[in-house]
Amino acid sequence: MATFLVNIGGVTLMAAIVWWFWLSGSNKNSTDDQHQH
Amino acid sequence: MSEAPVLKTALSISGASCQGCVKKIRNALEPLTGDPVLVEVDLDKQTVALPENVEVAEAAKIVTDIGYPAEPVTAPEEKTAGGCASKEKDFGDKGADLPGHEEPADDAQAKAPASSDGDQVHLSVTGATCASCVNTIEKALLSVPGVSQAHMNLADNTATATGASDTARLIQAIESAGYGASEIEDEDAADDRKQEQDKKQYKALLVKMAISLGLGIILMIWGMGFGSMTVTGENQITWLNLGILTLGVMIATGGHFYAGAWKAFKHHNANMDTLIALGTGTAWFYSMVVVSIPEALPEMARHVYFEASAMIIGLINLGQALELRAKGKTSEAVRRLLDLRAKTARVIRNGDEQDIPVEDVQKGDRIRVRPGEKLPVDGVIVEGSTRIDESMLTGEPMPVNKTDGDEVSAGTLNTHGSVIYEATRVGSETALAQIIKLVKKAQGSKPAIGRLADKISSVFVPSVMLIAVVSALIWYNVGPEPAVVHMMVAATTVLIIACPCALGLATPMSVMVGVGKAAEYGVLIRQGDALQTAGKIDLVILDKTGTITEGHPAVTRVHPLDNNEDKLLALAAGLEQHSEHPLAEAIVAKARHEGIAPDSVTGFEALNGKGVQGQANGQTLRLGNRRWLEAEGLSVDNLSDAAKGITDEAGTPLYLALGTELLGVIGVADAIKADSKAAIERLHGAGIKVMMVTGDIEATARAISGSAGIDDFRAEVLPEDKADVVNEMRDQGYTVAMVGDGINDAPALAASDVGFAIGTGTDVAIESASITLMRGSLHGVPDAIEISQATVTNIRQNLFGAFVYNTLGIPVAAGLLYPVWGVLMSPILAGAAMSLSSVTVVSNANRLRFFKTSQQPEQHKESN
Repeated sequence: MATFLVNIGGVTLMAAIVWWFWLSGSNKNSTDDQHQH
Repeated sequence: MSEAPVLKTALSISGASCQGCVKKIRNALEPLTGDPVLVEVDLDKQTVALPENVEVAEAAKIVTDIGYPAEPVTAPEEKTAGGCASKEKDFGDKGADLPGHEEPADDAQAKAPASSDGDQVHLSVTGATCASCVNTIEKALLSVPGVSQAHMNLADNTATATGASDTARLIQAIESAGYGASEIEDEDAADDRKQEQDKKQYKALLVKMAISLGLGIILMIWGMGFGSMTVTGENQITWLNLGILTLGVMIATGGHFYAGAWKAFKHHNANMDTLIALGTGTAWFYSMVVVSIPEALPEMARHVYFEASAMIIGLINLGQALELRAKGKTSEAVRRLLDLRAKTARVIRNGDEQDIPVEDVQKGDRIRVRPGEKLPVDGVIVEGSTRIDESMLTGEPMPVNKTDGDEVSAGTLNTHGSVIYEATRVGSETALAQIIKLVKKAQGSKPAIGRLADKISSVFVPSVMLIAVVSALIWYNVGPEPAVVHMMVAATTVLIIACPCALGLATPMSVMVGVGKAAEYGVLIRQGDALQTAGKIDLVILDKTGTITEGHPAVTRVHPLDNNEDKLLALAAGLEQHSEHPLAEAIVAKARHEGIAPDSVTGFEALNGKGVQGQANGQTLRLGNRRWLEAEGLSVDNLSDAAKGITDEAGTPLYLALGTELLGVIGVADAIKADSKAAIERLHGAGIKVMMVTGDIEATARAISGSAGIDDFRAEVLPEDKADVVNEMRDQGYTVAMVGDGINDAPALAASDVGFAIGTGTDVAIESASITLMRGSLHGVPDAIEISQATVTNIRQNLFGAFVYNTLGIPVAAGLLYPVWGVLMSPILAGAAMSLSSVTVVSNANRLRFFKTSQQPEQHKESN
């Protein structure tokens, strides 16, 4: 049970990281291409 | 859908950078609109469109309150709901082609203060620590309406926004992204303030380092020598107290990391602070679980890691302190330029001489400068003559003679006589002030290679977080016992070792030192890109006049038939002093230089295409070309050898005859600069082809290119065709540098890969070029190329080091060596390695300070 919970927790954490920083994150609105120095 | 309400651009906002922000704004405005779909947020233009009936002021207040500074737009643009052309996925795009769709941004811009497009605002930024912060800050600035370019320089913690924008909104945008910002108005005061701040921060970091490392070391010694880091029934309360103490120390000495991480997280960003906060937080939290409920874990996993949290923060504080110290040294070039300025000026007003602060000097003031004094402002000499050491500005080691009417620059040193000069440019208008501004700007710019690193680092930190979770799960599932400990150690170590601070510093540090080094050689690099491209140049195209040559005709030969040079020059100067032709000026200047008084000549007459004539000693005195004199019945055959020598050197022979007697020939030519040939040889030595373009006839071009050692030339090129030659050579695959000084060179300078303007040339040329050579000498070109190559190599070393460090460090931290050698890296070691990587990058960049070009100007006189 503990193993199951830890693994599910880990996968959820990874999904949360992907969601927060990529899918809903600012990377989506990348402005890198606007940089003109 | 056909009855969709009309939406009008109602608000101009800043700080909204992602879909999370869009949702937040929509939800916040829902009470006003009744439906979040009736709120359109355009991330590109930073505007919000709302239905007509919504109270705009109230909407602005709500949006401002949730963290996006908003202002009502005065002339809203109509749209149809659902017809937004923004990036929002859940809206259709049928309104994308609505007429005037671009206008909302203009509306917003119209509200900005009266600053023209292209204006720059310089901000001092606090709280930025790594490449991810750079990205976040640049994005935040770009999100402000009107900003066309944004650049953050981590090396000196300044940001520059270009475009019509309100400074307050720029500051707000940076602050809402989680950093501090203030405008840099007075560069001097900002420099002083920054130095002061750096000193304070350095001390504070050392104190914090001492506290956190102190606690960490005590705990470590305790664990190793006197007690045990394992929680038992007897020491549980002690460890609980120590855990709380550790938390206190972590907050007191590493609070800035946690605050930074939280601010970044709120904005969907992750940076160096995130990794440190997560790493140390994981170690502390795990330890507290062990202390609070030890029975929940297997006995061998009841180990605490409070010392790791404290020591990691201590080591990173130490690393940042060292980094701060090394960073200070990189801006030495600018500081040296700032030090060139005189503090006071001896001004003559109403006949009285008085020393006044240099800031109070007005245009038109007469200033006395005595030997050994620095010139306070730019001006023109009105009395006296002297020798001025301009090496600090131009890199030219020899003092230059200056007399009435000659221009002099602030920051140069009067080495010889006492002179009085009239101020023509004061304050920020002086050449020195402009140079300082230019160097600072270039130091802050980023070449393409650096932008690549920024792109990588923006996805780097979240990727590291994923790697940490994956390695934790692997350890938990397949690792040896105590699996839970290994899992926590591996995750913490990965998070700590992977910090991208070295990556963020790699490029700006080298650019800063490289641009400063170039300035020492009188080479002003205006853009980071030029710094990178200059190293790849394989063809240099030179303009002739003013670039290879002096730019003004001078007497090269005086050949009298009766061996009396003085007589020849006296008569010629007597005649030519009435003329304003450049050739005439050259002859008069030569006579003056030789101390020969011009003879009295009357009845001066200029004959177009022939020469000049007048009356001397009752006879007709003629000075002109061969055809004219022969037409007047004079034979010039006696002088044909001398004349050939003159034409071979690309000069013009002028024959002088008094009555029917031929007196001699004077050669006038635009002489090749003394060091042009040596500079061209240096370019050849570097494997670079040299070509000349000129509007002169082929014979002259051939003579000049032969004397200067130029590989190829194009003669009779019209000014407007110079750019075509540049483009033609670029099409052939060359990386072309164009070197010129005149307005006519400007298109070619702009068309080339790297344009070099001779600093003594026109402002237009200087504006069109990416590099300015303050010395008139061509040596600046090979100097710039060598410095550029050294700087790019240094950047590559830094980036390579930073990437290799992370590429090797992360797998080792994750435990890749464990199956082979049974070694799992300690989080403390990871903290030390991370700090070391930044210090290494900064130190490597500092190495550039000792770079010397293959031909080195004499050392600047530091004594001034």
